[in-house]
Order: sequence, then C-alpha cells, then structure tokens
Amino acid sequence: MDAAAVLARWLLGAVFLYMGLSKALHPVDFLKLLRQYDLVQSSLLVNSMAATLPWFEVFCGLLLLLGVAVRGTALALLFMLAPFTVLVFHRALLLQSALAIPFCAVKFDCGCGSGTEFICRKLLENFLLFALSIALLPGRGYQFSLRFNLIKPPAS
Amino acid sequence: MKDNPTPSGVPDRLLAVRQIFGEFALVAVLGAAFAFAANQISPLGLALTRNYFPTGTSPSVRLSAGDTNSGPVSPTQFLARQMQEKGLQLLDDNQTARLFRDPRFKQDIIIFVDARDEDRYQRGHIPGAYEFDPYHPEKYFDTVLPLCQKAEQIVVYCNGGDCDDSESAALLLRDVGISNQKLFVFGGGITEWMTNNLPVETGARNSGNLRKPNP
Repeated sequence: MDAAAVLARWLLGAVFLYMGLSKALHPVDFLKLLRQYDLVQSSLLVNSMAATLPWFEVFCGLLLLLGVAVRGTALALLFMLAPFTVLVFHRALLLQSALAIPFCAVKFDCGCGSGTEFICRKLLENFLLFALSIALLPGRGYQFSLRFNLIKPPAS
Repeated sequence: MKDNPTPSGVPDRLLAVRQIFGEFALVAVLGAAFAFAANQISPLGLALTRNYFPTGTSPSVRLSAGDTNSGPVSPTQFLARQMQEKGLQLLDDNQTARLFRDPRFKQDIIIFVDARDEDRYQRGHIPGAYEFDPYHPEKYFDTVLPLCQKAEQIVVYCNGGDCDDSESAALLLRDVGISNQKLFVFGGGITEWMTNNLPVETGARNSGNLRKPNP
C-alpha cells in the first residue's frame, strides 16, 4: 500500500514536472492558450498567470518527487486542478456547440502542457491526477522522502 | 486517523487538517516566489507589464462570432471586418501570390513578413520572407524596420486560421510609424500558402532550401 503511494507521489510529481516544463519553455504559446479562456481582461494578470503557473507546477512536481511538504503540495495541486478542469470543460462545451460535433470528438490544446487532446481523454487524465492528489492527503507514501511534513504533525 | 482529543483539547483530525492547510500556505508562498524568480531569470520569461495582444480580441470571441444577430459570420468575414476596424487590409491567397511573383518583391519594394516564432519560421516560410516574431520584436526591429520604411507594400502573415499574430505584428509596425496604407495581412497564412502548393523555404532567409510545390 505504501509502495503504491510512493509510486503515486513520484508519478504525480513527474507529470507535473513535465507539464510545467513544457509550458515554461514556451511561455508565449501558453499565454496565447490561456487567453482563449478570457479569464481576466488585465494583461498584467494574464501575463502573471502565464509566467508563473508553469513554474509553480515545476515547483510542486519537484516537491513531490523529493518528498517535501507532500500533503500541502497535494492540496495545492487539487486547488489548481479543480478550477482548470472546470474551465477546460466549459471551453469544450463552447467548441462542441460552435462545431456541432459530439462532446468526445472535441479536440483542442487546453494549455495543460500535453498538446492537442480529445476532451474526454483530457478529463479522464485530470480525474486520475485528482485521485492521485487526494490519495496523498492522508499521509501515505512517506518512504524515500526528504521532509514529508514541513510542519510538525500533531502529537497523538 | 483517530479523533482523540490532544492535551490541548483539539481533536487530532482538526490538527491534521490545520497542518495540511498550513503546509499548503507555505507551498503556495514559496512556489509563487520561485515562479516569479524563475520567470525573471529565464531568457524566455514574459514581461509582466507588456500587452502582448494589441489586437484585443481573443480566439474564443472569434469562435462565437457566428452567433450574432446578423447571422453567421465566416472566419474570413470576421477577420476582414476586424482588419477594417484597425485600418489594415486583408489579402486573399491569389492577391498574395500575385505580390509574391511581382518583380518588385525581388527589390524589397514589396516585402513579406513572417509573424511566427523562430522555430516555425525555420521549419518553413514563404521564400524571402523576413522573420518578425511580435512577441520578441526587439530582436527583429533592427533588420525589419528600415526595410518596412523603404518598402511600398508589406505583407504580414502567420499560420492562418485562428492565428492573430500577423495582426499583432502589423499593429506593432503601425505603432512604430509604418503607414497603414502599406500594411497588408494575408489571412490564410502559411497553411493556405502550402495548401496552394506554393514554394516554401526552410532554414534562414534566402537559404536556398526550397521545398518545391507538389506536381
């Protein structure tokens, strides 16, 4: 069980490290994709999001791989995954209605770092990442960790 | 995890939740600091205060442009309307090909400007087109600006379709003093150019590496 949790931590860390780097190395492309969502009108805010989100993912990926602040990092990933999954879903609905095609036939680059993908596959991936993040919250997978708890756990 | 009260009287579960949220706050703050620093250090980093999209309209707005009361609007019509509003002129593939074959093209009286990034430019551009990535204009102004000042017609293009980088580049050139009258945007971009089996040059400008059109 703990071995599975360690593997889950490494897998989640590697995925976020890869996705973060693929965006951080092409920040303009990510900025353009982020603009598709019309999240905010201010260029300062959009630029800040495009400039920092990929590196934040890299940071979280590294923390998980090294085993530092694992539960706090898993929670941070959940807070990132949840709103972006909603945004991706919403954009897919817009595309579906504009193109008049079945939902699962909608294919676009959501700016997630994995390129152009079918929406159903993307949602499934996000669901798996979500599940892996939740699995780390109870505190499993502490083997091979540098500092699993950054804040001292409560004495039982 | 048990809900036994600790000596302080607070249940374990609540303390664990507090610990996770405390750790989350630390990760968020340190991660944000790391992210801003990395963006500053990275040579590819974004300038936070710059408006990278002077064209204003995002592709998602274009997507819903057909839902207006005036009836469906094709992407070309929408693009033409948007160009008109900005004082730019839209070219179709025939007009662009005609300018490409015009003898004045060889004399830089007519010039083509490729508004895609370096990687895409290297992979294939309209032969003789100058590279001008509107997201890193400082790299290209020295070369492109004097040519644009001398040229009588400037054809700007990007990928075509949803891409509005050609529009951004044209507006950028307009903002540094190039007359609207000289600026033309080839809406179909390199995609339409290749679809029409027109020649494409790979590598640097005038590299001589031409990909011939299919017979």
